[in-house]
Amino acid sequence: MRRFAAILFWLCSAVLAATAASTPAGAEATVQPSEWNLYKARFLDPAGRIVDNANGNISHSEGQGYGLLLSYLADDRGDFDRIWSFTRTEMLVRNDGLAAWKWDPLAKPHVSDTNNATDGDLLMAYSLSLAGAAWHRPDLTSAASAMAIAILASDVERAGGLLLLKPGSVGFGAKDRKDGPVVNPSYWVFEAFPVLAAQVPDQTWSRLDEDGRKLIATAMGIGKAGLPPDWVSLRAKPSTAGDLSNDFGYNALRVPLYLLRSGNADGSLLRTLRQRMADEDGNLLVVDISSGEKREALSDPGYRIIPALIACALDGRKLADDLKSFSPTDYYPSTLHLLALSYARRRHAECL
Amino acid sequence: MRATVFIGAGTLLLGGFAASQAGYLDWVWPQGSGTRLVADNMTAQLQDTAPSQPAAGTPSSAGPASQPVPSAATALPRNTVKVDESALRYFAAKGDTKRLDAEIARLRALYPQWTPPANPLAVENTDDPQLDAMWKLYSDGKLTELRKAIADRQTAEPGWQAPADLLDRLAVAESREQLVNASNLKQYDAVIRIGSVTPSLLTCGDVDVLWRVAEAFARTQRPDRAKDAYGYILKNCDNPQERVATLQKALPLLARAPIDDLLAMERKGADGKGEFDSIRGDIARQSMANADADSKLTVADGDIARVQKLASDGGLVSDDLLLGWYYVRRDKAQDAETWFRKAHDKEDTADTAEGLALALVNLGRPADAEDVLYKWRETSDDVRKVYLAAVANLLAITPPPPLDPVVLQRMSQEVAGAKDAASAQQFGWYADSLNQVQTAAQWFQLALDWKPDDEPSAYGLALALWKLGDKAGVKQIQTAWAGRSERIPTVGLPSVETSALGNRMVIRQPPTRDAAPQSQTYVSPQPQTYVAPQPQIYAEPAPAAGPAQAERQAERPAARPRRAAAPSGCSSTLDPAGLAPEQALTRGWCLMQANRPIEAAAAFDVALRGTGKTQSDAAYGQSLAYMRAGLTDMAAVSATKAPLDSNRRIEIKTALLESQATTAYNRGRYNEAILALDERSRIAPERTGLMVLRAYAYLRLKRYDDAEQLFRAAAATGSHDALVGLNSVLEAKR
Repeated sequence: MRRFAAILFWLCSAVLAATAASTPAGAEATVQPSEWNLYKARFLDPAGRIVDNANGNISHSEGQGYGLLLSYLADDRGDFDRIWSFTRTEMLVRNDGLAAWKWDPLAKPHVSDTNNATDGDLLMAYSLSLAGAAWHRPDLTSAASAMAIAILASDVERAGGLLLLKPGSVGFGAKDRKDGPVVNPSYWVFEAFPVLAAQVPDQTWSRLDEDGRKLIATAMGIGKAGLPPDWVSLRAKPSTAGDLSNDFGYNALRVPLYLLRSGNADGSLLRTLRQRMADEDGNLLVVDISSGEKREALSDPGYRIIPALIACALDGRKLADDLKSFSPTDYYPSTLHLLALSYARRRHAECL
Repeated sequence: MRATVFIGAGTLLLGGFAASQAGYLDWVWPQGSGTRLVADNMTAQLQDTAPSQPAAGTPSSAGPASQPVPSAATALPRNTVKVDESALRYFAAKGDTKRLDAEIARLRALYPQWTPPANPLAVENTDDPQLDAMWKLYSDGKLTELRKAIADRQTAEPGWQAPADLLDRLAVAESREQLVNASNLKQYDAVIRIGSVTPSLLTCGDVDVLWRVAEAFARTQRPDRAKDAYGYILKNCDNPQERVATLQKALPLLARAPIDDLLAMERKGADGKGEFDSIRGDIARQSMANADADSKLTVADGDIARVQKLASDGGLVSDDLLLGWYYVRRDKAQDAETWFRKAHDKEDTADTAEGLALALVNLGRPADAEDVLYKWRETSDDVRKVYLAAVANLLAITPPPPLDPVVLQRMSQEVAGAKDAASAQQFGWYADSLNQVQTAAQWFQLALDWKPDDEPSAYGLALALWKLGDKAGVKQIQTAWAGRSERIPTVGLPSVETSALGNRMVIRQPPTRDAAPQSQTYVSPQPQTYVAPQPQIYAEPAPAAGPAQAERQAERPAARPRRAAAPSGCSSTLDPAGLAPEQALTRGWCLMQANRPIEAAAAFDVALRGTGKTQSDAAYGQSLAYMRAGLTDMAAVSATKAPLDSNRRIEIKTALLESQATTAYNRGRYNEAILALDERSRIAPERTGLMVLRAYAYLRLKRYDDAEQLFRAAAATGSHDALVGLNSVLEAKR
């Protein structure tokens, strides 16, 4: 009975969240055209691929997913269509209907690793679903459904009593690694779950949402850092995962952004994260999980805006000028920057 | 905008997923005589006679698959059907006749009653430069940019709709790219899924896509579906090259029975000649080749007869060889000889000589085999194995035949070069039977050096030493073999010698040809260039060479240069420490000739105390000695003990690097092997064998392109090893 009530509540909030994230056709875009133009001039190849300029100019399913989401938020249908066309023809080639994660302009065939990356799959399905609904595009809606079904079929696993997202279909499981299963807390794109639940109704989405939040809470207890690591081994007691990053680092730093954007985050959790992830100057810290020691302070505005956005959401603190304006740097922080700005515009205009 | 196309594609995609549990592709190629592609819009006749759409998994009716098709009963005049002809005008204006023809064919299939305009350029100009630009993007294959252009225009001009034709073609072109990418990545289920939701891809206009779908079926254990797909092409498509290529594609993927079914769909030309005539020959050849790789396979008589006819009519050496190998693998040595002989008469190559020699060995004619193969003995390891088998068999004949000293000498060189213990042992017995006991002892000793656990050689050595009166030597062997041999302790007892002959029957079987490359255990040819003087065992003077003989000699590759005859007198054992450096040097060379390298090294060590040329020769000799003993590291040290002249320095350095490369390779350290070969290649040309070794190292490092290039180059010199390697690379690259 409680469980049912919880689902009901969750479904309601899902609809709210979906509304919050969407850009009704004709309404003002939450990524401004000028911002999108700067972004795409730097990172969007005319053929429709998002170029990870700091990573050998490869493309990946995550980048394509972000590209779809940002072009949707910018209400740029032309770019959305070309990114989707590239993604579909070049990367949506796996037997299971998920996207091959890595596309290398120098490799032949260009897909140099056919494994998938679940965050990329989620971002794509989510963006397709949003765009299909907002622009009345049944082709996008159908593709969203197909990907959502493929995610449910291939990207979900049970571990430690939780329903979790596999990082990819191979390489991370109990049979693949001594410390497997290994998961990545930053692959939980929380805002996607209610939207995909509306697209393909299935209890798994809400379980993923709940259990992902539990995972993050648990992961924050792994080491002195009190922050979630990039990768978590669930072989026994949750711990960092050997050869993979043992930091609160480039993966995990987007966890708070996803929590915020999902619209129903836990205030005290966010406050704790804010306190531990930033230095006095507002730089975002990469922290060694076990020792809690700082390894790096990231000053790119795309990183700095994340703790600032928490302060905005919790305390109404205004964003600094250099965070309010966008100028592209590298693919990854610039992407996070626009996602953060888009959220601020939609939900916390008072901080701008 | 026009949404129906998108609905169609999307619904179909979902349909694919929903139906995937129940074999969603059952409807693609329905079984039976009515075989056709669902909604194939290439062939109007098929649409007229089409059975009803299969029910299970049938997609909803939207989308390009169900363009309205006028009933065949109502013959409509041109233009009563509204056909979008703007693409025609565009392609005509660009002079793109290929696309123009394709578009006409497509529209015709879609609208059977439609008549193409006589002059496509006269088609009313839409006067829509933006649309023209879109068609240009389409014809340039810039599909993603076309998507953007359409969406941008829809945003800018609400209500504007792209021509359905353009959208259809764009969707199909995108699916084609997706399908080809999936196919290249071996994502065969995806290939089938994409093909099934885009039936308009599966047409004679794009046979490559059909081939890929057929391959996907074959590689996902659905040979019936694969056969149907290939069969669809043969039933419906007319391009002669593509029809033949279809069978070629099917050949490696399908079993013989479905292949035969496909062959039955052959069309005959006006001259009554079947279009698959050449293919049938290839198929017969392939089944012979398969049977060569697996001697348990039986080949249909018809195939054998066909290849025999091809061989007789066409005269291709490769056909003779196929037959030869087939028979030799089935113990029909006489037939094998017949075909190998034909091949060999046409072309004397390593391949033809190898086969012929093998057949001759099997026929009990090892002398002929040796004669045929001698000139090719260094071509590859396989050839060398066959050559040595001929040698061993030749020496094992009882009673021993008289052998030409020239032949004996060259055989002994080869055996020594290959360090082949089995042949050395046979040399021992051969010499023994000619009462050349001293020589026999030397050969048995060599065999033991190369294969220390070779009991027959130890026995032979003990017998020979007994005959020579070397009781201490006999005793030494008996002690060494105590408990490991029943007969060695009996040497010296009465009546034992008479049993010696029985031991000569240990004959090595000729090697069978390995069809599959022994990829894990590649052993490179041993360094040959620095091999020191051969044991001078057949001391009889060579008969005066008459003109005929001289000519025969001239045909053969020059034998390895021999050093000056070594002074005799190192058969005894003695501590060299007491010798003067010059004496020790002489003794060292003598021991090298007797192939007692460890003792030679000790003698050279004494000689190193000398000065000038003596010292330099000693360092050189010791280095060679250690190298022959397989002690490469010590050989390297020896080479530094005294200054060497530049030729010798290079010779030693080359051999050391070669040995280093081989060792590194065999230990799996491929990068080091390549580095050693690189260094070697700076001072000496790379022989084919080493080129092959290098290529294998690249292969192990997955540098497939580099490996392929080298294998090809080496294969071009006739190296069979290189050919085997090339196949491994091509297999790995697939």
